[in-house]
Amino acid sequence: MREALRRVSIGYLVLAATAVAYLVVYTSRLGRFPTSFDYLSILNTTLPLVFVAIGQSLVVLTGGIDLSVGGMVSVCVAVTATTVSSSVFWLVVVLALGTACGALNGLIVAYGRIAPILTTLATLSIFTGLALRVMPVPGGSIPQEVRLVLTNPATPTGLIWLGLAVVGWLVLRRTRFGMRVYAIGSDEASARAVGVPAAAVKLKVYALSGLCSALAAVFYVSTTTSGDANAGNPFILTSIASVVVGGVAFAGGRGSALGAVAGAVALTLVIDILFFSGIDPLYQSLFQGLFLVVAVLLGTVAALAARRRRQA
Amino acid sequence: MNLPRSLGRAAIAATLLLAIGACGDAATPAASGKKAGKIKIALSNSFIGNQWRVEMENVYKAACAMPPYVDQVECSVFNAGNDVSTQSRQISNLISQGVDAIVINAASTSGLNGVVQQACDRGIVVVSFDNIVDNKCGLTVNTDQIKFGQQLAQFIVDELNGQGNVIMVTGVAGTGADNDRNKGAKDVFAANPGIKVVSTYTGMWDSATAQRATSAQLPNLPEIHGVWVSGGTDGVIKAFVAAKRPMPVVGGEAENGFRKFMAGLLTPKVNGMSIGQPPFLSVISLELARAVVKGEHPKESITIPFPVATSDNMVPGETVFPDLPDSFFADFTDSGPNATVILCQEAATDGTPCPGKTLDVNLGTP
Repeated sequence: MREALRRVSIGYLVLAATAVAYLVVYTSRLGRFPTSFDYLSILNTTLPLVFVAIGQSLVVLTGGIDLSVGGMVSVCVAVTATTVSSSVFWLVVVLALGTACGALNGLIVAYGRIAPILTTLATLSIFTGLALRVMPVPGGSIPQEVRLVLTNPATPTGLIWLGLAVVGWLVLRRTRFGMRVYAIGSDEASARAVGVPAAAVKLKVYALSGLCSALAAVFYVSTTTSGDANAGNPFILTSIASVVVGGVAFAGGRGSALGAVAGAVALTLVIDILFFSGIDPLYQSLFQGLFLVVAVLLGTVAALAARRRRQA
Repeated sequence: MNLPRSLGRAAIAATLLLAIGACGDAATPAASGKKAGKIKIALSNSFIGNQWRVEMENVYKAACAMPPYVDQVECSVFNAGNDVSTQSRQISNLISQGVDAIVINAASTSGLNGVVQQACDRGIVVVSFDNIVDNKCGLTVNTDQIKFGQQLAQFIVDELNGQGNVIMVTGVAGTGADNDRNKGAKDVFAANPGIKVVSTYTGMWDSATAQRATSAQLPNLPEIHGVWVSGGTDGVIKAFVAAKRPMPVVGGEAENGFRKFMAGLLTPKVNGMSIGQPPFLSVISLELARAVVKGEHPKESITIPFPVATSDNMVPGETVFPDLPDSFFADFTDSGPNATVILCQEAATDGTPCPGKTLDVNLGTP
């Protein structure tokens, strides 16, 4: 348990640091503390990234990577925005669609034995193409009731869903499936040798990533009140960044989805910090990149230190 | 457990971030020089990754530094790197900051609806331009993109007397402007049975991409008589030159390189029509926002006419700029007696105010 705590701690530390920095910059700029409006809008705009980051972290834990999250979010956004206003039942279809897209990745990676980066790069294009087919022009809508339940702009209903996601992960990691994910990420050959059905586990992991992307898409449409076939693209890099900032090891087997959640929130806060610190817009992406590098370096240094201690 | 080390790391991280914040503060004395009575107008731009966006921001900054804006308006500029959630965060923060108006070039026409509604609910004037925001509570300043497609296509049809092979080089799929432009063009070509569209491919609104794509397509194409380009026109022409193909009639955007070909400054001289989405849309939006906040203009969206240029009216310094690069958009200023706004070259290249000039923006008759 202690070991686990130490592994994920980097993500939480970065989150704590960014939160402090946000409060300092905000209050020094506006002369007051952030209001409920600020917290709510941070919560609601972060939720989609939180879900994609959870899915991405599962895949990275097995030693893989999922570039197709961008395409899966896009296609699910397109379907959500075009259909849900006719019947809320379509939400189920969207979640099933996301899971199916993810399962397709899983099949190719686990049974086709094709490298995850190649597989998901290819399916990224396929899913993005599908999204454009479903929704050639941005638009669509979502019923007000769905919006009030998912990302209410006046009360923090988003907290419920964030809480459910966290609880879901805590339960999942204690199941046999959860342990197998870590086992495969740590050493796939040994895991197979002791009878872990690696292919089946990987298939489920990619399918879960698809489900997470679908959830993200639903929350995306709910916050923005409409859809766009290119909506998913930014999530590819930001989800990977969240996972990295969250202290999940790229080689797999170490880290936690909660770290990725912390990373996702931290990344959102960085945008706000840069905003209120009044940095010249031309340098904003420079500082965003710097933040990433610093966070990743901290993670690497922590990992190296841990290894050295273990060897000593 | 290594708590001390963790704490140390946390401290380092926090200091670094605070340091970043502190540097930023020091770097923007303009933003802190608040004066009573000035209205606050912020520009929220989605991304700054191409020449058009740079010019758009430059003329906005230049306008802010010129009268009457320099005395009336406190301007700020934010870029979101084409990420909807970043832009939506920035707009939320602008709401918290209590600005009077937000001028937006959106990362997604639909993606900002939620946050724009929140701004409207708080009485903030929202004006979007170019890539506009769907939400009807905001005002828009734009050109008619369907007309863009139609007008260029009609020019090609007229020049070819309704007979010939045409290629269409489109823009970034999934955007409203691309869709509208293509629709306008296709309608016109479809209405003229003598015109055959032999190939349609994307140039991504980028000269280099358009040139690559065209070079790849040309060997498989018959003789081309007309080219319709949504963006990256100079690239398409260069691909024809490189392939030693006869130069077709070209209807395209307002790249300075294209205009140089049209003016005969580059060979061969191209017979063409050049219509641009003008970068000064940002300045018009600034004026509309200012006028609405001050109560001088009704809360109404406006559509401005495209600045159009043909090979016959190429005037150096007005419609074509021999000393500016090919990728520059030559329509950073309007021209003629009914011009919407006249800006100088340094406003577009460096964002510096035009010397000794009061900016007069013509919003048209409401």
